[in-house]
Amino acid sequence: MLKKIIFKTFIILAISGISLNAYANSCKGDVSEINVLIQGHPAMVHMEKHKADFEKLMDLKVNVTTLGEQERRSQSRVDASTGAGAYDVYYVDEANIAEFVKGDWVESLDKYFPAGADMADFQAGKISIGNINGTNYFAPFMGGQDVLMYRKDIFAEKGISVPTNTDEMLEVAKALTDAPNMYGWAQRGQRGSGMNVWRWNPYHRGFGGEWTNADGSPNINSAEAVKATEYYMELFNYAPPGARTGTWSDQIEAFRAGKVAMMTANDVFGAWVEDAEKSSVVGKVGYADLPTPILSGGFAHGLAISKPGTSSECEKVMAGEFIGWATGKDMESMRLDEGIYDIARQSSASNPKFTSLMPDDFNEAVKATSPKTSLLIWKIPEWPAIGDELGLVLEELFSGTRSDIQGSLDEVQEYAIKYLEKSK
Amino acid sequence: MKKNLISNSIIFLLILFAITPILFALLGSFKELKDIINPIPKIIFSPTLENYITVLTTDSILRGIQNSTIIVGTSLLIGILVGIPAAYAIARYKPRGSNDLRFFYLSIRFMPPVAIAIPFIGIFLDLGLYDTKTAIIITYLPVTISSIIWLSIPAFESVPKDIEEAAGIEGCGYFGIFTKIALPVASPSLIGAVIFTFVITWNELLIALSLSSRNVTLPVVAASFTSLGFETPWGVINASAILLAIPPLLFVGIIINFIKKYISND
Amino acid sequence: MNKNKFILFCILPSIVILLIVVIFPMVGAINYSLQDKSLRFLEGDYIGFQNYIDMFEDRRFINALKISLYWELITVIGSLLLAILVSIILFEYSNKNYRILLAIILIMPIMLPKVSAGLIWRFMLSPVMGLVNAPLISLNLNPIEYLASPKLALFSVAFVDIWQWGLFFGVILLFLLETLPRDLIDAAKIDKVKKWQLHYFITFPMLKGSLITIALIKAIESLRSFDLIFTMTKGGPGITTETLDLYAYQQGIGLRGEISYASAMSVAMVIITIVIFTFIWKRAQKS
Repeated sequence: MLKKIIFKTFIILAISGISLNAYANSCKGDVSEINVLIQGHPAMVHMEKHKADFEKLMDLKVNVTTLGEQERRSQSRVDASTGAGAYDVYYVDEANIAEFVKGDWVESLDKYFPAGADMADFQAGKISIGNINGTNYFAPFMGGQDVLMYRKDIFAEKGISVPTNTDEMLEVAKALTDAPNMYGWAQRGQRGSGMNVWRWNPYHRGFGGEWTNADGSPNINSAEAVKATEYYMELFNYAPPGARTGTWSDQIEAFRAGKVAMMTANDVFGAWVEDAEKSSVVGKVGYADLPTPILSGGFAHGLAISKPGTSSECEKVMAGEFIGWATGKDMESMRLDEGIYDIARQSSASNPKFTSLMPDDFNEAVKATSPKTSLLIWKIPEWPAIGDELGLVLEELFSGTRSDIQGSLDEVQEYAIKYLEKSK
Repeated sequence: MKKNLISNSIIFLLILFAITPILFALLGSFKELKDIINPIPKIIFSPTLENYITVLTTDSILRGIQNSTIIVGTSLLIGILVGIPAAYAIARYKPRGSNDLRFFYLSIRFMPPVAIAIPFIGIFLDLGLYDTKTAIIITYLPVTISSIIWLSIPAFESVPKDIEEAAGIEGCGYFGIFTKIALPVASPSLIGAVIFTFVITWNELLIALSLSSRNVTLPVVAASFTSLGFETPWGVINASAILLAIPPLLFVGIIINFIKKYISND
Repeated sequence: MNKNKFILFCILPSIVILLIVVIFPMVGAINYSLQDKSLRFLEGDYIGFQNYIDMFEDRRFINALKISLYWELITVIGSLLLAILVSIILFEYSNKNYRILLAIILIMPIMLPKVSAGLIWRFMLSPVMGLVNAPLISLNLNPIEYLASPKLALFSVAFVDIWQWGLFFGVILLFLLETLPRDLIDAAKIDKVKKWQLHYFITFPMLKGSLITIALIKAIESLRSFDLIFTMTKGGPGITTETLDLYAYQQGIGLRGEISYASAMSVAMVIITIVIFTFIWKRAQKS
């Protein structure tokens, strides 16, 4: 057995770089199944539906485990940190990629991504999220940046123009609120680094806040962070009920149900909003650049090869093959055919199915916010815990169980210092 | 007549209170998302089976059903094999310290599940059992064994002693009396006890959520539907909530009879 | 096989299994609780009782203790009150022939998995699409944020628990009422005693023992608040519905992965519950 493995590894190393198929073919039959942990995002549900194609191609079985976002994060961490290694492929995102790389839990994808799957075709903003110190650790299948979405019909009716800065934005949100039928604004307040922190952060960073001081020490309780929190809290006055603990879907559903006049949201939601099957505001939505100085939060979700889960070279090769297939060009165009508009590839962005869906002002808005887009969260391995603590405290402030903004942020600062100290 | 009307409407309100939420979810499970998120609930809509099709073709749900069946079934079976004889011995022979013994079984139920789950993560990792069905089955044993014992003791207590004594005279051994006389006589109530335990185990979330990701049970899968991705698929959530509730609901008739008997025996 | 051997043969396996399955994790928990292990750093050092000391300086732990206590009180009292009300309604107003059918309907909620019940009620209480808020919305009023308001959230989740258990215990109390001697009730009726007087002075005092047992069972079951809270609020808004088991889960298994600290909380929880419930149980048995 050991001999066989050594022999196979040798062969693989010998022929690596020659051709994708020869490379994978030498492993065919060697790996009987691969286990994949995913979050049930539409693009992934779609992948699961078509997994038989890959199974046939590589003559193995693909077992997919689907979990919710938090559970997916904590279970993949347990699986990796304990060395349990039940999964060959992890679903990783902008919030935990740094942790996974630091823990040495994911394999470099540069080595195992099939050449035919064309890594260069990924959109730069999305692949870069999984790039740490020059090495790519994941292949993205979705991601995005922020734009301002507003109801053209309502703005026209009231003779209001699109706000260009945060002061105007607040006024407009106030002017358009006519509860309980119409709310001027929508945002989410539920705790979590992907929830309230995610939407609060573009203000925090936009107002000039930084995560660290010049010497690298944490700087979570800055004056800008306080200002951002105050501003964010004021916006809640014009948001639909439930927003203070709401999730992204509450935010989007309220907008799609026609109860919200304006919001900043991720561009991936553009397709949701224009989906006639599920949205009652199709064609009524305008898209614009973000009011200054709000920044745009770039993010991406992708698939990565688990180190503890792939002990043999062939397992790594097959995991790489799987990722190449699941994030490939064909897969994305199949998704577009089926009305799932999550993309991460340049080739898909120019696909007529994608470009014809969205109005011109959407494409212009995306272009306008691109230069303002970056990963705004703190890209350190300790982020999941610190982001969670920050999210909790923000939710307490939003829902009114605490009122001392400065004091609350001081507490998060203290937590971060302690946690970083402990993690050394 | 008027009095009748009043009492009927009170009863009617009570029924509404109990089942409106279930019916509302049932209705929601046949709706498209667009109809669900309408602020004023739509009574008239074109029903769709889409949600159920989605649920029943999702791998993780199917595996959840399979895992739940195996895990709950096995831990229940062990609970029966170990628990029923114990319940019988305590009910029939009242051995010394049987009151303390009863309290011991009950006190197992005081254990917070999270207090069992967290250390078991470490223990199962060391044993190489983490994220296996065996691990969850083992962790469910305290629940199944202790509840089956607790619920079966009264069932055996209500078996008339003289039947057993008569059998003893006819030469049946202790084991024979237990299997040939006591078990058949008590079995209707025992079935109730087992089903009660089944419901408790089937519905369990925390332990399965903590100890597993690949071998998760149905409640974990259903709970995870709420944070799938960007869109909360309320139709699908309703469908999976209903699906998850079907097995326990199938047994309401048996349970109610069990309760009635349990109480009138007292 | 003699009698004692037979008894031992019957009882021993259950004791052995239960002891193993309970003692192992308890020893494990105590062992972890004295270290500083986390799921990110599996090699831990022994740090004495530091985790226990930290616990009492941790505002979330103190808060969770408080919320757990509130949860116990609200759900136990609420379920009992609803149960008494329901049993009297059924006893007085329902036709005997249909009672079993009514009982079947009324115990449906308790049969629902907590996950289902939580999801169903989250849907019912939603400010945007919920049935409960529909009348307000159609009257052009602001919907009530049952799960997002820090003042209401705990009560809303507890309400679902009470909906499940109160109806169930109501059916049980009905059956218990039926076992009471009929002539006593008839005699009272002839004396034109009002219904509430009958129940307040006669029937329920007779059921005192059963009521105490039911309260105790509910108190034990209320310790398992996790499933419902996890599906409905995940502890929010803020930490206003964060009970001990939910907090221990969040710390130990959720995003933080602090298993040592969470183990210390588990140990504390076990000690608190066992001491309190043993005390109550022994007291209840005496009376």
